[in-house]
Amino acid sequence: MLEKPGGADLLATARDLLLAELLPALPPDKVFAARMVANAMAIAARGLAVEAQAEAALQARLAALVGEGADPLARLAAGIRAGRFDGDEAVRNWLRDAARLRARVSAPRALG
Amino acid sequence: MDEAARGRLRDWLAAASGDAGLRIGAIQKLSGGAIQQNWALDVEGAASARRWVLRTDSAAVLAVSHSRPAEFALLRAAHQAGVTVAEPLFLCEDSAIIGAPFFVMARVGGTALGPRVVKDGALGGGRERLAERLGRELARIHAIRPPRDDLPFLGAPPADAGLAAIAMLRARLDAAGVPRPVLEWGLRAAERGAPAPVPPVLVHNDFRTGNLMLDASGVTAVLDWEFAAWGDGHADLGWLCAKCWRFGNVAQEAGGLGPRDALYAGYAAESGAAVDDARVRWWELMAHLRWAVIAADQAQRHLSGEERSLELALTGHIIPELEWEILAMAEAA
Repeated sequence: MLEKPGGADLLATARDLLLAELLPALPPDKVFAARMVANAMAIAARGLAVEAQAEAALQARLAALVGEGADPLARLAAGIRAGRFDGDEAVRNWLRDAARLRARVSAPRALG
Repeated sequence: MDEAARGRLRDWLAAASGDAGLRIGAIQKLSGGAIQQNWALDVEGAASARRWVLRTDSAAVLAVSHSRPAEFALLRAAHQAGVTVAEPLFLCEDSAIIGAPFFVMARVGGTALGPRVVKDGALGGGRERLAERLGRELARIHAIRPPRDDLPFLGAPPADAGLAAIAMLRARLDAAGVPRPVLEWGLRAAERGAPAPVPPVLVHNDFRTGNLMLDASGVTAVLDWEFAAWGDGHADLGWLCAKCWRFGNVAQEAGGLGPRDALYAGYAAESGAAVDDARVRWWELMAHLRWAVIAADQAQRHLSGEERSLELALTGHIIPELEWEILAMAEAA
């Protein structure tokens, strides 16, 4: 229903213009701000590109780990603190997959 | 600073320095954070012109960091211990002079900016020499030990600095109210692998690239003493070496500035005791956890509307990278 290009494309295209044409023309004391804007646009674009099903799959696996009910994330956090998941491979794998998804959006270079 | 305040400041400085003819030349604001302000102060005395820095509180003072009188006492203790700091000169606790307590210290040259200093291999006399020197600076700080009558605001040392740090981070996570299972996983791993406590020393608690003023010849000043506390000295070595504080220059493990071996060698030479590497690594895991908790609190200031800021917003997006590192470190712990 929505007109294309959509949000991710617009952010990427606008960011390219910012870096290629605006940044070189800015006074030195504004370069940091412009780089922050470019960084924010990149994070936002990657966030839009995350498939809804990837997040849904993590949610489903989380429910399997801590049981159905409200605030599964809070119950996982509390259980870890209490030592209930010490050495638990399934929990560790879930944490790694969740952290990978989060880093893919916020800091993909960290994943190597 | 208005004319009246300037006049009161002149009179006060004249009395404090014992130079009745002291005149103030230029006063220029250097930096103004939410907590402190620094002013460059050029004065002309009877004998010579001097370049000072006046440090005072901003209007909105947060309770988390030490007050100016406390910071002055820390600087004086560090200076006496041979740590390279800007020499503390005069403390004024009277808010009537310029509106808030302040102290005056010598102005030193150099640059501290993290992204810049990690790229300049010549700073501090070269990477090996710089790292060695940083080790010596830390050893001198850690030679300051309780009890100290001049540092009463530091309170009693914790019985176990490592476990106290874990409890403090958990309390901050609880106060923030956002469940963060990866950080909990890291804290639990740290708790299970916590080393036995060591006798307490003065820990700077923010000894990292960005807070170290450097020039071509070496360290010109260790800055930002407001988080200093009694604790385990290895916490400072771990904070400096943590990968998240190398400003992208990850191969130089001592803060992106130089090799870890040289840092340890300098520390051992000055303190007379070898560095416990495993203990430093444990504090590197804690460094990532601490930085993640701080970043979450900073992002919350943006999210809550208290201070809308793109810089604060982006600070929150550092957390996933820290989490990725924390999982790897917890595995090795």
